[in-house]
Amino acid sequence: MSDIIASPSVRTKARERGIDLEQRAKQLGRTHITLDDLSNTVPMGTGSSDHGKYWDVDHAQYGPVTDEPTSRFAQVASANLGAANAMIPQVTHHDQADVSQIEAFRKSLKSEAAERGIKVTGLAFQVMALARTLRAFPLFNTSLSADGKTLTYKDYVHIGIAVDTPYGLMVPVIRDADRKGIFELSRNISDLAKRAQDRKLGPDEMGGASMSISNLGGIGGTAFTPIVNPPEVAILGITKTKMEPVWNGETFMPKPMTPLDLSYDHRVINGADAARFMTHLCKLLSDPRHLVQI
Amino acid sequence: MSETHAELMVLGAGPGGYACAFRAADLGQSVVIVDPRDTLGGVCLNEGCIPSKALLHAAEIIRDAEHAADLGISLGKPKIDLDKLRAHKDGIISNLTTGLKGIAKRRKVTHVQGRAKFSSPNAVDVNGTTWTFDKLVIAVGSRPAALPGWPQDDRIWDSTAALELRSIPKALTIVGGGIIGLEMATVYSALGSQVTIVEFVDQIANGADADAARILAGALTAQGVTIHTSTKVTDVKVTKAKLTLSCEGGFAGELDAHAVIQAVGRHSNAPMIAPEAAGINIDDRGIINVDAQGKTNVDHIYAIGDVTGNPMLAHRATHQGHVTAEVIAGHRAGLDTTLIPSVAYTSPELAWVGITVDQAKSKDIAHKVTSFPWAASGRNLASGGGDGMTKLIYCPDTHRILGASLVGKNAGELLAECTLAIEMGATLEDIALSIHAHPTLSETIAFAAERALGTLTDL
Repeated sequence: MSDIIASPSVRTKARERGIDLEQRAKQLGRTHITLDDLSNTVPMGTGSSDHGKYWDVDHAQYGPVTDEPTSRFAQVASANLGAANAMIPQVTHHDQADVSQIEAFRKSLKSEAAERGIKVTGLAFQVMALARTLRAFPLFNTSLSADGKTLTYKDYVHIGIAVDTPYGLMVPVIRDADRKGIFELSRNISDLAKRAQDRKLGPDEMGGASMSISNLGGIGGTAFTPIVNPPEVAILGITKTKMEPVWNGETFMPKPMTPLDLSYDHRVINGADAARFMTHLCKLLSDPRHLVQI
Repeated sequence: MSETHAELMVLGAGPGGYACAFRAADLGQSVVIVDPRDTLGGVCLNEGCIPSKALLHAAEIIRDAEHAADLGISLGKPKIDLDKLRAHKDGIISNLTTGLKGIAKRRKVTHVQGRAKFSSPNAVDVNGTTWTFDKLVIAVGSRPAALPGWPQDDRIWDSTAALELRSIPKALTIVGGGIIGLEMATVYSALGSQVTIVEFVDQIANGADADAARILAGALTAQGVTIHTSTKVTDVKVTKAKLTLSCEGGFAGELDAHAVIQAVGRHSNAPMIAPEAAGINIDDRGIINVDAQGKTNVDHIYAIGDVTGNPMLAHRATHQGHVTAEVIAGHRAGLDTTLIPSVAYTSPELAWVGITVDQAKSKDIAHKVTSFPWAASGRNLASGGGDGMTKLIYCPDTHRILGASLVGKNAGELLAECTLAIEMGATLEDIALSIHAHPTLSETIAFAAERALGTLTDL
């Protein structure tokens, strides 16, 4: 028997409206689903909400089209993203980190890393700096209960990494990222990313993150607004590092600057918290010595 | 469009088929229903549920008359006019089938009498006429299973023959102690037959709660029915005077009878309609596997009821029929429940829904059990009911009701509350806090819930 309690009429209505009750129960953090829970439904992917009429358009009347069925994977992702965007009041804070010293340090590690068969990436430093920052700002390492009455603080730091795969977006998680060195983090990241590509991640390798990182640095862009991955309360977006003139008090110096975007759940985090969090993160990234001091 | 084309064709006019046809007609479909009988209603109405209940009602009157003496009312030994009883039963059938015909006519559902066989995925042959269709629902039901290797003899009956009420055999042996066998035992023992039930497994009403089945077995035994469980029939000898069954196992020896009823389950009729000509897959038992929409492996062909497997019950078929009609009309419908109540209309009745204790144990489902004995129900005693029990199975954490088993007078009617409770996700508290009228048998359900909660004051 299903663990979800919904009366026969609710089950019928849910089916009519294309609402997956298990999914809905998960979103609401409940086991008991009533008719009200269906009428205030958030968009759940294509054609499955009351607002379906916006998408109910005969596109072929404007020119040639082809229809492709969406995968089960894409449908689940669509439902999750739709729910996250609808349910979380999100704000995105933008900042830039001077990564010149970290880049120099990273290059100095190249030969040692090569001996160990590892490639040390900028992302590994981002994970390390974010993990340290989460320890310094425990408010960002929390989850809000579905009823909004409890905030759970996590005494662990797991970082999710969004990976673009041919099947869709996957978010494997690096466990205890605050206790790992740069080589181990680098190895973890490349291993998880590779297995995500091959669709060989175990279920225990996803979920339970403190925060996630969405890194578009290898592709491009100057800024974007990632969507918080519930039940996390914030997500860090990274775009392409660019040489920029930075005023050092006397003159403009060329510096590699990494744009960082922090989207956060405003129910838990205020703008000032976010600004302090990002200032701290950028400081850690600006000098590898800060990373080891904390 | 030629007159031998159907927008929707329904094969079989049993409770699944006519429910589907009528619902589809209500949703604007033009429907043709095909059945070998000239009446609608299928096995249920013509030779199953309804005639058996008519006979069971007669059996109840006979028993009540016997019981009346204990109340100081002497009615004397009942005289049974078999022809009149048969006519009464047939009258009820004809009343209901005539009613169905009227309902079909009002809905403009066309009834074609004949046996249908697929000739292609888009056509069936009905007694030599080719009918094409846009969509089709298979609802051809099931027939009594016959035991292999048995001789042909007029005194060997299946459930259909048993309901024809050909005679009251002095000694009647029923092979199969399932619902049908038990109901036939109830009827014929009341009519005066010396009934013996031979059951292969170790309890009658296999699948029902073991305690409840034991109470029923006790009551049947007290009525003079002999029950042999864990017993296998190895041979049948036919002479002019009698039929002799050789048995081994729980009972080893020979049983003499003047008639034998085979009640060993039912077989799907799907193989009889040449499903292969339409490319429809059936399994080795003739079952067509369908999804929650009633869809078969062929896009425009659906199946409902007994041909889709167990439990082969009319009320399951009816619900499947409605859902499938809605699906065909383009609704987003689906059968959203697996909760199908079972009732043996014996004396006393045995009824159950949801999981039983045995199922909970074998599937490792966390559960607790509470019960209320009917010996402590004022209404049961006042109404001349015998032994009985209401048992609820619930989740220890949430107190949600997971299953119910009832045995006792009218247990089948009481079951509906339990079914609704499970469907609604009701807890012990929900049941205990709903005021049940006094004095009713339904109180036993509330009492069982109260007993688990420690709030019962009636024990």
